[in-house]
Amino acid sequence: MNMKEGTFIDQTVAKGVRFLLVALLIITGIAAERIGLVEYLSDPWEREYVLFLVRQHLYLVAVSMALALVTGLAAGIIVSRKRFRKFAGIVMYVIGLGQTIPSLAVLALTMSFLGIGSKPAIVALFIYSTLPIARNTLAGILSVSPSIIDAAKGVGMSPTRILLEVEIPNALNVILTGIRIALVINIGTAALGYLIGAGGLGDLIFTGINLMRTELLLAGALPVILLALVGDYLLELLGVIIVPKGIRMAA
Amino acid sequence: MSLWVFLQDNLSMALFLTWEHLWMVGLSLLIAIVTGVPLGILITKNRKLAQKVIGGANVIMTIPSIALFGLMLPLLAVFGHGLGKVPAIIALVLYSELPIIRNTYIAIKNVDPALVDAGRGMGMTKWQLLREVEIPLAIPVIIAGLRTAAVMIIGIAAIAAYVGAGGLGVFIQQGIARSHEAMVLAGALGVSLLAIVVDLGMGFLERRLTPRGVKA
Amino acid sequence: MIEYDSVTKIFGAGKTAVTATDSVTFTIEAGETAVFLGPSGCGKTTLLRMTNRLESVTRGSIRVQGRDIMEMNVQQLRLGMGYVIQQIGLFPNKTIAGNIAVVPRMLKWDKRKIDERIDELLRIVKLDPEIYRNRYPVELSGGQQQRVGVARALAADPDILLMDEPFGAIDPINRHQIQDEFLKLQAQLKKTIAFVSHDIHEAIKMADKIAIFKDGKLVQFDTPEIILMRPASKFVSDFVGADRALKVLGLLRVRDAMNREPRNVIQGEFTAEEALRFMEDNNFRHLIVLRENRVLGFVTRRQLKYEQGRVEELVEKFPEELTAREPLRDALSAMLMHDLMSFPVLDDSGGFSGTISYRYIQKSILELYSESQDD
Repeated sequence: MNMKEGTFIDQTVAKGVRFLLVALLIITGIAAERIGLVEYLSDPWEREYVLFLVRQHLYLVAVSMALALVTGLAAGIIVSRKRFRKFAGIVMYVIGLGQTIPSLAVLALTMSFLGIGSKPAIVALFIYSTLPIARNTLAGILSVSPSIIDAAKGVGMSPTRILLEVEIPNALNVILTGIRIALVINIGTAALGYLIGAGGLGDLIFTGINLMRTELLLAGALPVILLALVGDYLLELLGVIIVPKGIRMAA
Repeated sequence: MSLWVFLQDNLSMALFLTWEHLWMVGLSLLIAIVTGVPLGILITKNRKLAQKVIGGANVIMTIPSIALFGLMLPLLAVFGHGLGKVPAIIALVLYSELPIIRNTYIAIKNVDPALVDAGRGMGMTKWQLLREVEIPLAIPVIIAGLRTAAVMIIGIAAIAAYVGAGGLGVFIQQGIARSHEAMVLAGALGVSLLAIVVDLGMGFLERRLTPRGVKA
Repeated sequence: MIEYDSVTKIFGAGKTAVTATDSVTFTIEAGETAVFLGPSGCGKTTLLRMTNRLESVTRGSIRVQGRDIMEMNVQQLRLGMGYVIQQIGLFPNKTIAGNIAVVPRMLKWDKRKIDERIDELLRIVKLDPEIYRNRYPVELSGGQQQRVGVARALAADPDILLMDEPFGAIDPINRHQIQDEFLKLQAQLKKTIAFVSHDIHEAIKMADKIAIFKDGKLVQFDTPEIILMRPASKFVSDFVGADRALKVLGLLRVRDAMNREPRNVIQGEFTAEEALRFMEDNNFRHLIVLRENRVLGFVTRRQLKYEQGRVEELVEKFPEELTAREPLRDALSAMLMHDLMSFPVLDDSGGFSGTISYRYIQKSILELYSESQDD
């Protein structure tokens, strides 16, 4: 392989190493509170409860992300179509405004309208994650050079073919970044879901804070951090696999 | 309507919490600027270091805020500051660093090399070059980073109410705990409004501080 | 064949309406290269983009191979014409091979045929398939990218090529090279080409016919020679430049202007005395000396005076050899440089076939001028 590709993989590997280092650092953090945490987690019933909360957390993230992916990609693609392109500016503005609203406020507002439980939490997470995905999909497609689109039309591609073969592949890097942002925000915000009765790892964090029980706190915080880091890293790896090489080399 | 009544009854509290919120965010931004901008300038001289610093700040950004509070609590408890404004401000500073460092770095890096060359050719020292050419041209981009940071940490500061830092998050926290819907709304809308106003204000500042000749 | 019939394009409406092309009518014959020339904003690019319907036609019609383009499926129309643009527009997400394969794939060629075609085209545009097939556009220089751009346009062997300042973004040295190669290619392929340019030199070089536009109107459509010699208006003459007569010299060849039966010629075995008398009788300043139809050199009166023996022993060699194929510009340059009023012209096998002189160059230009006046 050539140099550029090599360094790209190097960088990705280096990021992986860095991620391991961070994990190591966190493990040292655990060491300080080891006794409490280990004791807590060695109780089979408590361990089962932590795993249950992890699953609940993942459920919130998975359902809301799946919905956000479909909606965000579709919205981004639709607004980028010629017919709707004149609304792109307004849509971007509204998305920007939406992203300005803090995540806790979005959760609280959703609760005001939909009550408590996992459904309102999923709705809030879904709305909040849709924004960066839609934004980056739209921005990514709009940033594809007009001369490339011109060439695509000129060689006789149909609009659908241009979308699938030219626009999306060339915007993929930007789209994937949007999905990464959405996922990381989603995992973190899901931890606040506990506040409106959706459960998840926030349960341990907030209970830990209220009772000043460090082992509970860490049993909740560490998995959330790990989930966010791992999710982010996996999506970055996915980028190496699915983003066309010619695009990555240009970046 | 109940929201209106609630605000009328608790106006001084609302104002106090807003002030507290802004104060935390402002102080954190100030600390982040004092540390982040010089760091951002410093790393323009060393690519490898820049990658490490920005990469590190990126990792911090990936850590969910409530989890970061959770991590800091036992560490700071050792010094007797597990709850309150200290963990909040530390977290807010940490989260502000990435946009500030990154934008400073990018802004200085993007100054046209021809301009730097011209400055050097006129006999400017490195320091003069920085002060006369690089920083003035970079300021709008740095302000943009500041704007991103400000909006973000206004939201995070709301969460900090749960570690006893005060601010508008208190309304949300107390409102949820007491099932007081108007109070929740007051907090949620208040924080949102604050974020939007700050965003608009800093956007305005960003445009004002862009030198006329640099505007596209 | 592409026929433009009163083609009008208006952008916008009402007070802000801009007429990009105004009742443009002309025909590009099959196998011909027509260069659309003019300053920016003259409508030349709009006209090209209407040809493959990237822009709509407001009024009038365009017929391609006899069919009205508005009656054709737009994708089918575009598949039938290659399109090359200044910005090159290679798809960054596709390899070089992937870029060339776009049209054949849409035409559902089978994989083997596509692969063979890719290699064939890369060789035609002078890029080694082994090296470049699997590279990405970012890895290529601008000149190499545009070679791929040309290969992509030729992929399905369309009869028509639309080229929008195709070599405009390439550095001058590479541009000349790629122009020369393209000319050679076109001599074999005989495509019908619409070629937009703002460069008069490029137009003269590439065109069979030049269409000059001003403010959306076609002001002249003719061969480069006629455009240069007989510009239809002051605009055209200004546009082609004050040195247009010199530009014509670059287009004409020595064979178009030479004197095929010169009289100032003498065989080498004559004596100096005979030669001198021959010159004095005919008032020649110099003679070209031949033996068995080969040019030995020339003699002047001063050289021959008081000399005995045969002229072939007294000749001075010509400093340069000119063939009938050389552009007149080069012949004139040789005359100026060596201070000679005329040069012998050689045929392809090196035999003497005539002479070229200032007078004949001037005469041929004047002839061209009056010929076009008769039109």
